[in-house]
Amino acid sequence: MIEVSALVKRYGPFEAVRGVSFSVGSGKVLGLLGPNGAGKTTIMKVLTGYHRPSSGRAVLDGRDVVEDPEGVKASLGYLPEGVPLYLDMTVAEYLEFAASARGLGGKERRADRKAAIERAVDACGLSGVAGVRLERLSKGFRQRVGLAQAIVHDPAILILDEPTTGLDPNQILEIRSLIRSLGARKTVILSTHILQEVEALCSEVIILNEGLIVAQGSAEAIGAGLQGDERLECVVKGVADPAEALASIRAIPSVLSAEPAGPGTGGPARFAVTAGKGRGDAVAEGLFDWAAASGAKLLELRRERLSMEDIFVRLTREEPRL
Amino acid sequence: MSGVLTIARRELSAYFNSPVAYIFIVAFLLACGTLFFFVGDFFAVGQATMRGYFSLMPFVLSVLVPALTMRLWAEERKQGTYELLLTMPFRDGQLVAGKYLAAMAVVAAALALSLPVPLMASMFGRFDSGAIVAEYLGAVLMASAASAIGQAVSGASKNQISAFMATVMLLLALSLLSRVTTLLSLPGWLAGLVNWASLSYHFGSFSRGVVDTRDVAYFVIITVSCLYATARLISAGKWR
Repeated sequence: MIEVSALVKRYGPFEAVRGVSFSVGSGKVLGLLGPNGAGKTTIMKVLTGYHRPSSGRAVLDGRDVVEDPEGVKASLGYLPEGVPLYLDMTVAEYLEFAASARGLGGKERRADRKAAIERAVDACGLSGVAGVRLERLSKGFRQRVGLAQAIVHDPAILILDEPTTGLDPNQILEIRSLIRSLGARKTVILSTHILQEVEALCSEVIILNEGLIVAQGSAEAIGAGLQGDERLECVVKGVADPAEALASIRAIPSVLSAEPAGPGTGGPARFAVTAGKGRGDAVAEGLFDWAAASGAKLLELRRERLSMEDIFVRLTREEPRL
Repeated sequence: MSGVLTIARRELSAYFNSPVAYIFIVAFLLACGTLFFFVGDFFAVGQATMRGYFSLMPFVLSVLVPALTMRLWAEERKQGTYELLLTMPFRDGQLVAGKYLAAMAVVAAALALSLPVPLMASMFGRFDSGAIVAEYLGAVLMASAASAIGQAVSGASKNQISAFMATVMLLLALSLLSRVTTLLSLPGWLAGLVNWASLSYHFGSFSRGVVDTRDVAYFVIITVSCLYATARLISAGKWR
């Protein structure tokens, strides 16, 4: 459980975060999304106790980052941006250090520590490289070591700053599935500017711009709030006269406009249809009925939704702040 | 305490995973051996004493200890591991103490490896073992002050080389300070102050085999205050 209220962080005269409030419960994955310099990393640095907030509060599992920084640090796992590691150590040595540092130190906890390291090594697929020095590992493996380091003490809260940057597509899928499985039991906050990642992983999204929250909620909810008129695209085979077809499409109730889409030379015809807000279903039905009645074959009927990209661009560039 | 030891172990493995510790130990032994047999003219003097050996110790330590301490914080900053370290549940004091202990352990290893010199020399005559113990104690205290100063400088630097240079200059200046009082005729109180601030002045009595609590106090004060300053420096960084 993470609760942030009216958080402000200034670096000198520059306000990196300007009054941000949110809360995330356990079993949730929160994505922080925003262009570079939006304040994602700053929020994470405050949550992890690395930087103190200029004003406002951040409470993790009942512990305040200013009043009990060690308690906060003990309860979370953190993967900083760029995965800093002690490159002179082997994977096993490094995880041993991380486990000792995060409350599994000392002789009396040796068995616990060993078990914890083994669990982290298995979870992150590191068993083949335990004896390898970190400087010799590829970026993908280093990322996994960074993640293993963050989860070795089984923290209730996981904070991941751009966990998949610089990985190849297979590695990204692996890391994502790992994060998803961790997210079922923990509170996870991750930052990213990869938009599919948010759709793939996060149950909640916060979009930040210039230190302020510009949108907050599930990806669908944010999309629905921004959605105006709905757009449909259909591909129809066996249309004799495209102009006539367009006219009859425009006659369907709730259709605002219909235009040919794509090249009109031979083959199936392609039309872009705009429906009124919330009328997408009715128009799709109407299109189906029209095609059936006129003897044409509907090859494709696609409803365009606002993609995460559209939402992101609208919120962080075009629209005035909400 | 376990936090301090965790950090100390991590730093020690960094020292011994890289050539730093080995180079330090070899350079220390070479420097000491050279000073003992050639500069100190052990055989020509014909006395079973290590006074010559230890009289130059402040300068050897002034140049070599910064090579150990330069990386302590500057490297963490450069590699970005600083952030990870500071988000682990350590108190700032534990980080500083752990790093100090690791540097001192390498110095202690080097000093221990230099023990064969007095042992061998004792074959040639009757050594004053008390004096040897005092001299080694002085060397440990001197190294302790130097590594605390070095850590504070590294804590304020982003770059290892600049940390090294700054520490060497600072330590050499502190060591040479007592020479000023022999070159210039200063008023008594000023001369006293200059001498009090000088590392080699306080080390001097140890190298003569005298353990004076005032000298011990000086080194302890320098060590503790520099370590404290480093810890403050690190917590101040969080409010940036």
